[in-house]
Amino acid sequence: MDRRSFIKLTAITGTSATLASCGNPENQLIRFVPDEDIIPGVAVWKPSVCPLCQAGCGLTVRVMDADADVVRNGQAGLVRIAAAKKLEGAPDHPVNRGGLCARGQAAIQITYHPDRITQPLKRTGDRGQGQYEAISWENALAEIVSHLDMLEGAGNQRALACVSRGGRGHRAAVLRQFLARFDASAPITFDLFGDDVLRRANALSFGREQLPTFDLANSRFVLSFGADFLGTWNSPVAQNVGYGIMRQGRAGIRGAFAQVESRMSQTGACADEWLPAKPGTEGVLALGIAKAIVDGQLRPAASAGRAGAQVDGWTTGLASYAGADVERSTGVPASRIERLARQFADTRPSVAIVGGPALAHSNSLFTALAVNALNALVGAVDQPGGVSFTPQLDVAAAAKIAGAQATMATPLAQFAADTVSGKSVPQVLLVDGANPVFTTPRAWRVAEALGKVPYIVSFSSFLDETTALADLILPDHSFLESWTEAVPESGSTTAVVSVAPPTMRPLHQTRATPDVLLEIGRTLRRPLDLPWQTFDEMLGASVAALPAASADVDTWTDAQAKGRWEGTLPGALAGSASAPAPSAAAAFAEPQFDGDAGQYPFHFLPYPSNQFLDGSLAHLPWLQEMPDPLTSGMWSSWVEINPATAEKLGIAQGDIVEITSGHGKVQAGAVISPGIAPDIVAMPAGQGHRTYTRFASGRGVNPIELLAPVTEAATGALAWAATRVQIARVGPPDGRLILFAGGMREHFESEVR
Amino acid sequence: MCVAALAASAGCRLLEPEPSSLNASAATLPGQSTAVYTTMRPTMGAALNDFLNRRPEPTQPIDFPHNIHVGKEIACEFCHEGVDKGAVAGIPGLRTCMICHAAIATDRPRIQQITKMNEMGIDLAWQRVYGFSNDDNVKFNHAPHIRAKVECASCHGNVGQMTVAERAVDHTMGFCVNCHNERKAPVDCLTCHF
Amino acid sequence: MPQWGMAADLDRCTGCGGCVVACHAENNISTVGPDQAAIGRAKHWLRVERYWEGDFPDVRLKFRPVMCQHCDNAPCEPVCPTYASHHTEDGLNAQVYNRCIGTRYCANACPYNVRFFDFFNPSWDKPLQLQLNPDVSLREVGVMEKCTFCVQRIKGAQIQAKAEGRAVRDGEIQPACAQACGARALVFGDVEDPNSEVSRLSRSPRGSLLLEDLGTQPGVVYLSRQTQV
Repeated sequence: MDRRSFIKLTAITGTSATLASCGNPENQLIRFVPDEDIIPGVAVWKPSVCPLCQAGCGLTVRVMDADADVVRNGQAGLVRIAAAKKLEGAPDHPVNRGGLCARGQAAIQITYHPDRITQPLKRTGDRGQGQYEAISWENALAEIVSHLDMLEGAGNQRALACVSRGGRGHRAAVLRQFLARFDASAPITFDLFGDDVLRRANALSFGREQLPTFDLANSRFVLSFGADFLGTWNSPVAQNVGYGIMRQGRAGIRGAFAQVESRMSQTGACADEWLPAKPGTEGVLALGIAKAIVDGQLRPAASAGRAGAQVDGWTTGLASYAGADVERSTGVPASRIERLARQFADTRPSVAIVGGPALAHSNSLFTALAVNALNALVGAVDQPGGVSFTPQLDVAAAAKIAGAQATMATPLAQFAADTVSGKSVPQVLLVDGANPVFTTPRAWRVAEALGKVPYIVSFSSFLDETTALADLILPDHSFLESWTEAVPESGSTTAVVSVAPPTMRPLHQTRATPDVLLEIGRTLRRPLDLPWQTFDEMLGASVAALPAASADVDTWTDAQAKGRWEGTLPGALAGSASAPAPSAAAAFAEPQFDGDAGQYPFHFLPYPSNQFLDGSLAHLPWLQEMPDPLTSGMWSSWVEINPATAEKLGIAQGDIVEITSGHGKVQAGAVISPGIAPDIVAMPAGQGHRTYTRFASGRGVNPIELLAPVTEAATGALAWAATRVQIARVGPPDGRLILFAGGMREHFESEVR
Repeated sequence: MCVAALAASAGCRLLEPEPSSLNASAATLPGQSTAVYTTMRPTMGAALNDFLNRRPEPTQPIDFPHNIHVGKEIACEFCHEGVDKGAVAGIPGLRTCMICHAAIATDRPRIQQITKMNEMGIDLAWQRVYGFSNDDNVKFNHAPHIRAKVECASCHGNVGQMTVAERAVDHTMGFCVNCHNERKAPVDCLTCHF
Repeated sequence: MPQWGMAADLDRCTGCGGCVVACHAENNISTVGPDQAAIGRAKHWLRVERYWEGDFPDVRLKFRPVMCQHCDNAPCEPVCPTYASHHTEDGLNAQVYNRCIGTRYCANACPYNVRFFDFFNPSWDKPLQLQLNPDVSLREVGVMEKCTFCVQRIKGAQIQAKAEGRAVRDGEIQPACAQACGARALVFGDVEDPNSEVSRLSRSPRGSLLLEDLGTQPGVVYLSRQTQV
């Protein structure tokens, strides 16, 4: 036993022996021979990669000895393991440079979560009841193989569907290859707060279908339209690193920052200038600024090049975007537009950012194109202090995945509609890293669609709403127990491929999902002939194809030790984004809002919460207890309401209010917030899980349910800021809203109003 | 000891700590633990022992002869390998014993006993002879002491003449502070208590 | 003898809260749960405060990370009957859990509200306890706890430096909060060393102390957010 174990252990597992006597409980303990050598009390640091968002930050993990409770051959006892203890940002990683966000810090609780699924499970009760029995991996794999063999035997391979998290890394590539070789449909990916609109705009404007990277550290003026780039958007830690330097990291130089949004986000709070604009008009504002720059002879319109050509009216002087017109449309005074234009053009280098609610409207492609044109106008593209695109490894080329690529993926909304209508019902559905029952509007009827699928297999480690509908659960390792990797799409100016071996052995009887897929591929009646035996073999092959840092360095060995490869990609391995066919220049269209303005007078803004993003992290207790940056809320949902609006409606701080859209309603405590426009109400996304471990189940409400199925036309992306709602006071505070501030802590000044 | 008897008669179990009852309806899936790790003592007797700084004499799983091993000039740190690297000296597991005893003295009954245990994957559950209870909040670090050339025997007694280790030295705070004073080592609280 | 201090640059801080969770992870701070949090018992040794100014649309919000200020003239120290809260030679306000008998007078006296009481024995639903940091005590019911400037990291670095026969380098000791911060808003070091980064920042004209007029002489200098001309 190690020296720390003088903390008295009470029970071991549910099945353990009783601690019968009043004597020393250590008498009853059995200790097993460890599976690994570790010197007690000595920490080793191992590289890893954080998987929680698309940023792909590099980690360094402190690993020390710990005593784990295990049951072996029916006996309960202890065994010493090498356990991850703390996650830190990897100091020299090009993306996060040693920093790590709150979510990354909390990620370690995934591995040690008490409600983790520890072994393969087969459903026993009715779907959704959460009743499962344990089965062996052998039987579980045999079962799924038999289902897939049946499809293959009937020539019905297309009836295998998959909903997954997506991504451009190796794990996603294995999944796509598996499905492609099986002749199944391409995986359906859905990310509620994803940036498909921005990627499409970047493809049109710059020929790169990719998230952008901002060189904030060298910038002198940042103009952000709605992007919570210091909180939850794109590559938050990398952006925090750049921001810190932008402000105070250069002697005598302080970059300025203006944020345009109608609800103050955590990022907006850091701005020197904060401007609310009417929802869906951010593109108009961007063009108003562009016109002022061009009319003021600060830049020639032609310098916007291809990006400018994407905007209707750019080459003819942007006649519709004169100051007065823009003021009328956006609510931003013309004089301010003029001043911003001067500042944006005269301060060099400057850069514009667009994301978040600004890209969550039906007209958001136009908004993104407008901001792209603005960047191009001032020469911010591929320049220091501006916007650029991370050279990104083409995983298919590196891993030599030749031949059949999967067909175009069906958008999730269409998949659900086709399944519900019976037009196309998959027979087997795989679910990996996604919880679409929770993260989609009720209007899309995803739960109903899944109800029609005869056989659902999930690789999830937790019983969330989607996995609770699974017939078979093949739990993945947690990331600390896995080979981790990422091919960051943004956040770095150099190409990075993060890769790291597992930091610790599996705690439970889980298996790495990519390895499980490879094994299934081998065991099928018609084997898939995937070129690798294991996932790390694939990673090794891919990384070995990359140029070494110097002659005596073996790329793969070096990458595993450092947790990454970085450098210059040879042309053949650089991802070339697909350049879409040139389309007609985009014009402003009034944003569509669901709900009649008379009946539903307020714009509804569900935003990715700092703690939980789209809800995928609500199961981690540290994040539940972490006070929200804007409201200090913990363990709660809330509705942010403007003080004047609240007064008009008779709503006081903490009162329970009901938010109703044309598609649903929720109730939560009200938080009076000065930083939100009078005709907007906002709610953090993430709570309201029906089931998602003991820490999140039945807690709070899910604002996503209310959303109307408004989409952006070109990409089909959900316009999550396009729903109108009504609010009504339901009653006085009832204790469900828990704030850290107030009482003995600092006062929330608006309370006094 | 009348106090012990009093404790025993006061009943054994205190409150069983509940798992965080945040959602009563979350049923436990197969393989999930319902146990809780807490600083609370499991029994009144254990709490009393801690409060009175009493530790029952340890019962070791096997009668390990330090004298024989030290007699063979095996250095302390061969088995207690963490002692010069970090905070914890470490009590060796069976794998350490088998480094030698896979081949040495394999005819002896105790060696055969441990060989069988090793084959079954059961390790020796040594009981701590020295150590501090949680509420002493002591973060003792071996390595600086080894580097300062403090002899193992100064704090652990003449283990080389014992079979199983016996508590030869009482690790009171005074014991530590006296030596620190003599050697001009720091004596502020945060040296050890944090 | 070093004097430990910290500088918090509010022009860099973005309010993200990474420091808050890093502190919990490093220091074995138990999660109290929603019922206890509702009655004010959550133990955020480091918290991010928010200060609103103005009305919509001319509204401003400023973040401020607040932890134990390790005051040189700490009001929590003279009120402790058992010397559990006392000042060390290297400038830390020490909280010695063994001595603490839970009068809570220190929390009463602290104007920064950075001291937290353990109202019950902490528990971790297994196997969450495997994450616990063995270098930090598990505090039991009845004691006060608070930010220690990650004293375990200070001691660890000092021991390591001594083993290597050298002095501790500036920047070698990073409390968990400073290490997590991507914007590098929190800087820790020896304020006695005029060349250390924390000393340099402490001399900034933007620097000020929290509740300075109370005379607590806090060890954390806050560099106020600059306004853009």
